[in-house]
Amino acid sequence: MKEPGARPARPRPISGGALPLAEAAPVVVEPRKGFFHLDLPALWEYRELLYFLIWRDVKVRYKQTLIGAAWAVLQPVMTMIIFTAVFGHFAKIPSDGVAYPVFAFTALLPWTYFSQAILGSSSSLVGNAHLISKVYFPRLIVPLAATMTPLVDLLLSFLTLLGLMLWFGIAPTWGVVTLPLFLLLALLTALAVSLWLSALNVRYRDVGYTVPFLVQCWMYASPVAYPVSLVPEQWRLLYGLNPMVGVIEGFRWACLGKAGLDLGVTAMSALAVAVVLAGGLVYFTRMERTFADIV
Amino acid sequence: MSELAIRAENLSKQYRLGTALSRHDTLRDQIMGGLKSAFRRGGRAEQGPETIWALKDVSFEVKPGELVGIIGRNGAGKSTLLKILSRITEPTRGRAEIRGRLGSLLEVGTGFRLELSGRENIYLNGAILGMRKAEIDRKFDEIVAFAEVEPFVDTPVKRYSSGMYARLAFAVAAHLDPDILLIDEVLSVGDLAFQRKCIAHAKRLQERNATVLFVSHNMFAVKAMCNRVIYLSEGEARFDGAPEHVIHLYEQESRLTTAKWAQEMVGPDPARRPIRITEIELLGEDGRPRTVFDYGERMRVRLSFEASERIANPNFCVSFIRSDNVACCNFNMAMDGFTIPFVSGSGTIELSTPPLKLVSELYTAQVMVWDTEFERLYTAQMGRNFHVQDQLLSTHFGVFHEPAEWRWPAGEGRS
Repeated sequence: MKEPGARPARPRPISGGALPLAEAAPVVVEPRKGFFHLDLPALWEYRELLYFLIWRDVKVRYKQTLIGAAWAVLQPVMTMIIFTAVFGHFAKIPSDGVAYPVFAFTALLPWTYFSQAILGSSSSLVGNAHLISKVYFPRLIVPLAATMTPLVDLLLSFLTLLGLMLWFGIAPTWGVVTLPLFLLLALLTALAVSLWLSALNVRYRDVGYTVPFLVQCWMYASPVAYPVSLVPEQWRLLYGLNPMVGVIEGFRWACLGKAGLDLGVTAMSALAVAVVLAGGLVYFTRMERTFADIV
Repeated sequence: MSELAIRAENLSKQYRLGTALSRHDTLRDQIMGGLKSAFRRGGRAEQGPETIWALKDVSFEVKPGELVGIIGRNGAGKSTLLKILSRITEPTRGRAEIRGRLGSLLEVGTGFRLELSGRENIYLNGAILGMRKAEIDRKFDEIVAFAEVEPFVDTPVKRYSSGMYARLAFAVAAHLDPDILLIDEVLSVGDLAFQRKCIAHAKRLQERNATVLFVSHNMFAVKAMCNRVIYLSEGEARFDGAPEHVIHLYEQESRLTTAKWAQEMVGPDPARRPIRITEIELLGEDGRPRTVFDYGERMRVRLSFEASERIANPNFCVSFIRSDNVACCNFNMAMDGFTIPFVSGSGTIELSTPPLKLVSELYTAQVMVWDTEFERLYTAQMGRNFHVQDQLLSTHFGVFHEPAEWRWPAGEGRS
């Protein structure tokens, strides 16, 4: 129903998905109340930023290095060689009937990922201070991106593991299809720890000094160089409270088809992650509002 | 409900000075602090001298398409206001409603990584500013052309000149197409051409009915761009209205502060200096206080000082600093051959300037007291603001203007 001579509506410039003013619900800025506030829609809206932050960190990481991404593989491979020499040959630590190099490398895969993820993400908020104090986005994106970045390295190491298994003549069993589940458990473990550490680090820079030591201790508390079977039976469940136990055992079971996954230990690990993650989310979202002021 | 772009109600922000000053809290400090307060009776004292209100009950409404300038001196709460509106930090009290896609430029080139190429930084910065990848894909060529960096898109930006870097950063920001844009002092960086681009960009945004909130020190940019100005002072909105009125108010409220560059040399507290300026009065030739002077007028500057010790041969200097921080002229006793044997206690000094041939702009008087060799600085304080007004002469004419003499020898080139 156009009237003659009516002026055409002002053409809207092509702008990405912006709604006309009247249609969009207003954004409300006010002091946040309540105990816990997780804005999942906002997180989804900023998924592309998550992608770009991961992409940035992957890109920047190996710029101006001689061998580039080979570092991703070299690090766990070197560790595996040292472990094989020290623990496999000198200390004669059992490896559940699997060749020790493969045994160690399968554990080093999630372990290297985990240590890189928490080393990187504990300083992620502080390292991105210039963004946090100048631009709005859901702050959760930052530790999330930092825990996801080392997944790229993990993928490269995984290819190395396949090569290693081929060399030692180990065929993957059907259990390998469950690997993504254990990978997810590793990711959630890293995220849970990162939420605490990154938020704490904004306020207490002590965290930066603690994390390398923490990672070192944590490795000895996880079955990286030794099998879980060395842990006395009655302590297994307690041992499983360390989520990396569940992750590493899961990786070994899924890749090497090692008999008998201790489901009790796995469940214990999953439970522990759930608790730490929930606590981390509460702590993080409570601290989040002050990040820009004190970072 | 009528359509508003922004509605702010009693926005307030309190900062704890403790957290602002000791930026690197350590666990040890926290534990010690905890112990101390445990031994101090009476629980915690939240409201104390350690907290300041950076923003106090600021309310206003902005309609779509308005171009609002926000002015005020350093620490008046301008940046805090923008940070709250752009959701970077939460208000302590109050609320604001914002309708439409919000873009905020608190800095140009946020998140640029030197190791990455121009192309990569366009995507990264765009995503940080809230653009979708598809949107950046579509605008990519336009951004590169606007920044004039075509041959270097795949070069790491650390090899860029600072001009190229700034152009690229601004180009990305300029292609963010928000309904509401918050700009903080972005215009104060960059050269004149760059500033013109910024102003043209803001005007373009306004043409498509975007709302712009623009924080600046530069009265003239505000006056040129905005149809409304909010004046913040000590966290409160003192005035909200037509630019001319607010700017006048701003001039009147100016008081003496220690010049930034001199802070380390003379210390922050004027009262602890051997001599300090207690008042700067800008007077017309008739001896009346003024804030606006015509081009070519003389000015009388009356300085009141207080010397807590005997100062031999003090060398009083007065400089006029333009609002864009260009020091335009300086008058000092040493060069004018005027000497005072000594001063002690309080007194006044008066200076009559030659006709001021400065271009039409806002200036601040800066007063310094040196020794005659310009080796020891006793005090340096920024004082009153004043305008020089002229129909024609703007900063495009440079710093000052004097008529020159022209000759045409033998009338050559007439055929």
